[in-house]
Amino acid sequence: MMPKFCDGIDRRGFLRVGSLAGLSLAQFFRLQAALGAENTRRRDVNCIFIFTIGGMAHQDMWDYKPDAPAEIRGDFRAIQTSVPGVHLTDILPHTARVTDKLAIVRSMTHGDSDHGRGYHIMMTGNRPGAGDFNAHKNNNVHPSLGSMVARMTNRGGALPPYISVPSFLRSGGPAFLGASCAPFVIESNPAAPDFGVRDVVLPEGITGERAQNRQAALRTLNSYQRSVEDASRDERSLDRFYERSYRLMTSASARAAFDLRRERGPVRESYGMTSLGQCCLLGRRLVEAGCRFVTIENGHWDTHRENARSLRDLLVPSLDRALSTLVTDLDERGLLDSTLVVLATEFGRTPRINNLAGRDHWPQAFSIVMAGGGLRRGVVLGATDRIAASITDRPITPPDFAATVLYALGIDPSTTLHTPLGRPVELASGGRAVMELFA
Amino acid sequence: MTSFLVGIIALTAPLAASEKSPPPLPPLQSIRVEPSQVQLHGSNRQQQLLVTGTSQSGQAVDVTHLCEVTSSNSSVVAGRASRLQGVGDGTATVQVHIGKLTAAVPVTVRDFTNPPPVHFGNDVVPLLSKLGCNSGGCHGKASGQNGFKLSVFGFDPEADYNAIVKEARGRRIFPASPEQSLILLKPTGRVPHGGGRRLEAGSTDYVVLQDWLKQGTPVGEANGPHLTALEVSPAQRVLGLKAEQQILATAVFSDGSRRDVTAAAAYTSNAEHVAAAAGGGLVHTGDVAGEAAITVNYMGQVAAVRLQVPRPDAPNPYPALPVNNKIDSFVWSKLKTMGIVPSEVAGDAVFLRRLYLGVLGTLPEPSEVRAFLADIEPYKRSHWIDRILERPEYADYWALIWSDILLVNRDKLGDRGAFELHRWLRSQLAHNRPYDQWVRELITASGSSSRVGPVNFYRASANTEEVARSVSQAFLGIRLECAQCHHHPFEKWSQEDFYGLAGFFNGLERKKMPSKSDAPVRGGEEEVVIHAGYRPMALPLTGRKMAARAPDGPLLGERVEGDPRRELANWMTRPDNPWFARLVVNRLWKHYLGRGLVEPEDDLRSTNPATNEPLLDYLAATLVKENFDLKALTRIILNSRTYQLSSTPNASNRDDEQLGSHFRVRRLPAEVLLDAISKATGEPEAFPGRPRGARAIELWDNRMPSYFLDVFGRSERLTPCACGRSSEPTMAQCLHLMNAPEIERKIAAPTGRIARLLKENATDDQLVEELCLAALGHPVGESERRVARQLFDAVPRQQAAQDFLWVLLNSHEFLFVR
Repeated sequence: MMPKFCDGIDRRGFLRVGSLAGLSLAQFFRLQAALGAENTRRRDVNCIFIFTIGGMAHQDMWDYKPDAPAEIRGDFRAIQTSVPGVHLTDILPHTARVTDKLAIVRSMTHGDSDHGRGYHIMMTGNRPGAGDFNAHKNNNVHPSLGSMVARMTNRGGALPPYISVPSFLRSGGPAFLGASCAPFVIESNPAAPDFGVRDVVLPEGITGERAQNRQAALRTLNSYQRSVEDASRDERSLDRFYERSYRLMTSASARAAFDLRRERGPVRESYGMTSLGQCCLLGRRLVEAGCRFVTIENGHWDTHRENARSLRDLLVPSLDRALSTLVTDLDERGLLDSTLVVLATEFGRTPRINNLAGRDHWPQAFSIVMAGGGLRRGVVLGATDRIAASITDRPITPPDFAATVLYALGIDPSTTLHTPLGRPVELASGGRAVMELFA
Repeated sequence: MTSFLVGIIALTAPLAASEKSPPPLPPLQSIRVEPSQVQLHGSNRQQQLLVTGTSQSGQAVDVTHLCEVTSSNSSVVAGRASRLQGVGDGTATVQVHIGKLTAAVPVTVRDFTNPPPVHFGNDVVPLLSKLGCNSGGCHGKASGQNGFKLSVFGFDPEADYNAIVKEARGRRIFPASPEQSLILLKPTGRVPHGGGRRLEAGSTDYVVLQDWLKQGTPVGEANGPHLTALEVSPAQRVLGLKAEQQILATAVFSDGSRRDVTAAAAYTSNAEHVAAAAGGGLVHTGDVAGEAAITVNYMGQVAAVRLQVPRPDAPNPYPALPVNNKIDSFVWSKLKTMGIVPSEVAGDAVFLRRLYLGVLGTLPEPSEVRAFLADIEPYKRSHWIDRILERPEYADYWALIWSDILLVNRDKLGDRGAFELHRWLRSQLAHNRPYDQWVRELITASGSSSRVGPVNFYRASANTEEVARSVSQAFLGIRLECAQCHHHPFEKWSQEDFYGLAGFFNGLERKKMPSKSDAPVRGGEEEVVIHAGYRPMALPLTGRKMAARAPDGPLLGERVEGDPRRELANWMTRPDNPWFARLVVNRLWKHYLGRGLVEPEDDLRSTNPATNEPLLDYLAATLVKENFDLKALTRIILNSRTYQLSSTPNASNRDDEQLGSHFRVRRLPAEVLLDAISKATGEPEAFPGRPRGARAIELWDNRMPSYFLDVFGRSERLTPCACGRSSEPTMAQCLHLMNAPEIERKIAAPTGRIARLLKENATDDQLVEELCLAALGHPVGESERRVARQLFDAVPRQQAAQDFLWVLLNSHEFLFVR
């Protein structure tokens, strides 16, 4: 049999090999620290993963170049943040005040300027082959991060481990991990007055008492029809999902997690009464109630025209508010160390402003933002050149990004799973967690 | 997910309490040693012996590792147990002893002192495979590992040579001091290696690498002997629980020479819980009965060893079993070998529901159930099979199934293209046109996407390579996609096979017709698909032109008049084509029995054998004999006792999921389930833009908005693989079945079944009876009656009837076919 794990060596063996080969003492200790950290990483970290669809203009938000020529610099000004020496643009006033809680990565790169493929790359850490990834959802050739987490999570609980809101994210599917690792999709806008999660509450007109009668009768009928022993694997498997679903329906605390009306008015408003704001609030409630991975869709940022105006007037205010409030709220509740917040996007946007006042796709260098989950606070990693076009320091690839998220969640990024065809697939596609980001 | 895994583990629960010691060896009559004589050519050759004993009952038993091996001349050959190693040039005899039995094997060792130069492709690359260096998880992956990239499984020795000798400024080898070469330091762990220690310094493998470096990294003779075949022994064996079996792997070269590669080959079991294969070709069976195929892989050549582990508690004598037709003889014969007794035949009601759902994707009406149960004719099952096969829903349902396989995807084909391809498929099925004929028409199709339905098959693929992948998977069951980039890891297929097949389609052109409307629908424009003439494809690695060739088929020459797809279609539909009929009969078997004789159903290869090869052969031959009449073959399957067995297992077949000992229970597919709910409630689904009463199985549009179909996993129609459709349960499905307002509305609809029955003044008993017939396809039984009574006692009868129907729709018996 071909070895299933490339990294088949045990950690102790690795250390021994390393010391034999005469690593410097400093190298040795760094290695030991890294390995030790891996062994002792807390495994109860959850993730709120916000995906900005369309491509977020890195230079207009996170990687501002004040000295660049006007056709590159754009309309915004730099503002001070809570971290001395780190500047954001003036469209992010709220986020600037919580920058001391953030880890900003200015050196993401992958080089694929197609929306669909960029989306797939950033949701999975894996570059798909050729093909149209724009047409529809669940196009994964590699599992999404959320599906990987669902697969690697062994947490009982009423809530599903992976929830997607307010829709199915295009590359948020499970690929070969199968439907059991697909997200539970809340297809409803939490900012809408009639927000509700479909099918978790009884249909109209069915009282709790009737529902209980139905459930009892169903259990009786199933057990009469065939003994558990004789039931097929598929039937037993369905039973377990029925049980979990019933637990969700009947768990007051799980159902309460969906109910944003339980939040005090000022809290709801502090997130912003926008889809994104309320999704973030819902995300916080879901991880509090035991969900492991929440993805939030934040569209539509494809600012090929009127980039500056769109960002300033339409797109950034809700994000600025939602992100800053989410991070602050988590911190105040003592949840920031156990919750990783990620703000990702397909790619950045072109250095030069085009003749429609827009910016086009730029996957060579762009920014993502993370916070919490044991990451260092108030750090900026990586750098780009004077026009934010290419990376000058510490390029981070999508596999590294995926590895970092998994590592923060206490999952070994090099875990290898097998597709139904038997092809070995590493969760993080060979990426290494960016250790500098961790405290 | 975790709970799902528990299910799998439970399946492999031990049959008997595990014991430490292996079962005692039966008294042996004779022993036989393979090979009967040994030639060791060169310094690092070895020879694994395979020693097989024959018991008094004639059973073959592997005793390789129980024998004692002695050499007549230890300066020529020495044995470490059953593995012989040259020591010096000369001849000797090796004696193999077990108990009182002995066998002698003559051994010749030559060129030991002056070994022939190491051949990179024949000697070094196999080591890279054996040590795992070039596996898909390590240096073999597309991006390599830490800057060092090898071709996966060593399919490209030339590239590997460059990677080792030339790339990275030659830092991987150190000619002045071969021992200090990275290629030796890394795998032995003398320099940190992310892949860990893989090679022992001083081992035989090490010496090969070292010799190669010392000899100045020769490529080896270009015209030297090359590997032509891999032979394995035994090809097939029946083993007990907790037994062991040595496999002997022999490489055969173009000059006729043979070399033992047992230690260098890779071994993969398709059922680790039945038989696990370790390096060196030693297989251990576990404490679970079943079958396993061990794939042996050496340098792109593959062979399989089939192992059967019968149940130890097989009934003795085995009962005499009635047969309905030839299928049963094949199935019973296999079950008998494995010590498994099939279940009883299913009752009439279960059979009828199974038949309707399987053939028509449709629930029977209460009146149909009553009529069938009341029919006292002795051959009524056969007669009803004939009648049901003529119903129009047959074409609806099978057009849906083929639309999944042939990727009738509106996103790619546009509305018109998807509609036309679906309509064409439905028409072929409705007229039961012979399979070879309609596939030929599809393969050779040319013309407008809006008028010639089958050309849309070609529009689903973005390029020639994708066409080749789709055709080979959809109609031949050959998964060539692996071979597009590298040699298929478990088969003989290489890039030449892939680009050979693609060559038939190179030259296909799609021309857009001028759009009549100002706002073209996405993919909705009319296109003309034609083949502009034969153009062989170039292999991406070497640029060499590859004449079109079907897998294992004849080469097409430099020039071909007209459309080369005709040649391919001729080859595909030949009666002796090894794939064409086998794939489609396997698809039918999977559809009706729940599991393909080969799984995955569209992955036919020698290393993935059928669970019942004679049966698959018979079904394929029968289809050919019936002139590719799919309904005729279906009729034979449906009439078999095997198809009509109960799904309730017995003690001996509970763990069997492969051999057809009892009917396999499975959930209704998304479209069928939605239709079943509509039919049971009497309230059709309203699809936007379709007339009232339109059914989900009739939809040509796989993007028709439907939360239900999405959540229950309709096919994405993206890859021609049968895995596009998901039948795994999810929470969203369960929640939807329990709580969806849409389903509740159907149950309570004023035009629905319950409302109608109430209007007709049905009694409580009649209500319960009708609902039971409508949803479950059988008259009310004691269990349903008891459940109904509880409900009718609790609330007013209208509500009670609704509650009862809700319970039925959520019950296993409704959601599954069984």
